[in-house]
Formats: sequence, structure tokens, C-alpha cells
Amino acid sequence: MASVAGSFMASLSSHKPNQTLTRASNLNAVSLAISGKSFPSLKLSSAPSRFRVSCAATPETVDKVCHIVRKQLAVPEGTAVTGESKFATLGADSLDTVEIVMGLEEEFGISVEEESAQTIATVQDAADLIEKLVSKK
Amino acid sequence: MAFAMRVKVPPNSATLQEARHQTFDFFRTACRSIPSIMDIYNLYDVVTPAQLRSTIAAEIRKNAHITNPKVIDMLLFKGMEELSNITEHAKQRHHIIGQYVVGNHGLVQDVATKDENISNFLKNFYKTNYF
Repeated sequence: MASVAGSFMASLSSHKPNQTLTRASNLNAVSLAISGKSFPSLKLSSAPSRFRVSCAATPETVDKVCHIVRKQLAVPEGTAVTGESKFATLGADSLDTVEIVMGLEEEFGISVEEESAQTIATVQDAADLIEKLVSKK
Repeated sequence: MAFAMRVKVPPNSATLQEARHQTFDFFRTACRSIPSIMDIYNLYDVVTPAQLRSTIAAEIRKNAHITNPKVIDMLLFKGMEELSNITEHAKQRHHIIGQYVVGNHGLVQDVATKDENISNFLKNFYKTNYF
């Protein structure tokens, strides 16, 4: 029984890779089917190599950041301020960004290093950085 | 003393980029000393830290059109001097309130080049009731 299964798997694995390899040149997503189980598709081209912080910011933090940003930039009520909104699109110049970071420093009682402050471009960045600093305290 | 901490080391910015950097550093230093300023002059009932931050930002923005790094250095030096004076309690409460809380609308004649961004409506409004 096991030997039959083994030989079956051996024959499967010897056949399948040839097909998948030829298909791989056409497709981005390759799904390897081995012994009936299919693994989730693996992307050949990786996402832009940004190192994502493993702990995502909590929604309350993101909300607080959004609130501060909205007040600082006087964003009209219609515009949505989400985690992905960049400060530049909301009408902030570089001084505004620094001011927002200072406001966040005061609100959360943290101290942001200058290099980290340079990398903040979106609301989500700010929230992640805050989470990291608050947990380090 | 307090002024010993305030010395900014490189007096000559070579490029505009460096001058920008120094400006942000100055702004950060000023914002970080806001809590002690509020404590020294007892401004808790008068103004919030956020308002002081935006006043400082407005002062910086008034000179945002300057492109000569040396001029920017000079302005930053004057800004640092003012900040040192304030933090070492060389000023008094009414100075701070008059200059940074209430603002000087109508007390100082508006120099045209500096106040281009204020609208005509506001200019007239501050000058007189009837326009």
C-alpha cells in the first residue's frame, strides 16, 4: 500500500515539475500540485522590498493619528484620512510633517529619532513607528 | 545654563538642503522646549502646546521663500537666540503672550513682503470695522 503510494507519488513528482516549469515562464503565479495537495500560489516577483514591521498598529493608534493629522492640516470633512493616505496628498508640506510628528510625540509621550522621522510618509508609517516606540518604553 | 545647550554647531550651511535640515532641527528643539516654557510662564490657561507649535511654524513659514543658505543661517541664529532668551526666563509672561499667543495684528505695521499670504479681507478686517 505504502509502496504503491510511494511509486505513485514518485511518478507524479517526476511528471508534474516539467509541466509546471514550462507554465512558469508564462505565469507569475505557480501552483505546485504534489499528491493532490496544492500549496498556495507563490508569487515569483516579490512585492517591493519594504521591510514590513511585524506588529501592525492597532486601530486605536491609527485613529488617534488620523485625528491629529486631520486637526493639524485642517482637512475638510469630506476627505477620508485612512492608514494609507500620504501627508503630501493631504496638503502637508515638510514643515507640516515635522509638526505632526511633534504633535504625535506629545500625544503619545514618546521621542522620535530624527532618522525615523524622515521615513514617515503615510499615516500607517507614523502609527507603526508609534507602536514600536510605545512598546519599547 | 540653558543657553549652553542651545548652541547649534555648524554655523555655515553649504547647501539649501543642509539649511532645510537645520530649520527642521531648530523647529524640533523649539517644540521640545514648549512644555518647559509653559511651565516657566504659567501659560496653561492661556494657550495649548498645539497652538504654540503652530505659531512657531507660522513664524518659520513667514520666511519660507528665502533661498540663500547664509540668510537662512542668520534667521536660524536669531531664532535660536530668541528661543534661548525665552527658555532662560529672560523674558516675561506678557512678552510671550503678546508676541506668540495673541499675535501682533494691528500692533505692528504689516510689511508688504512678509504678509503676502494674508488675504485682503483679513487685512481690512484687522484695520477697521467698515470696509
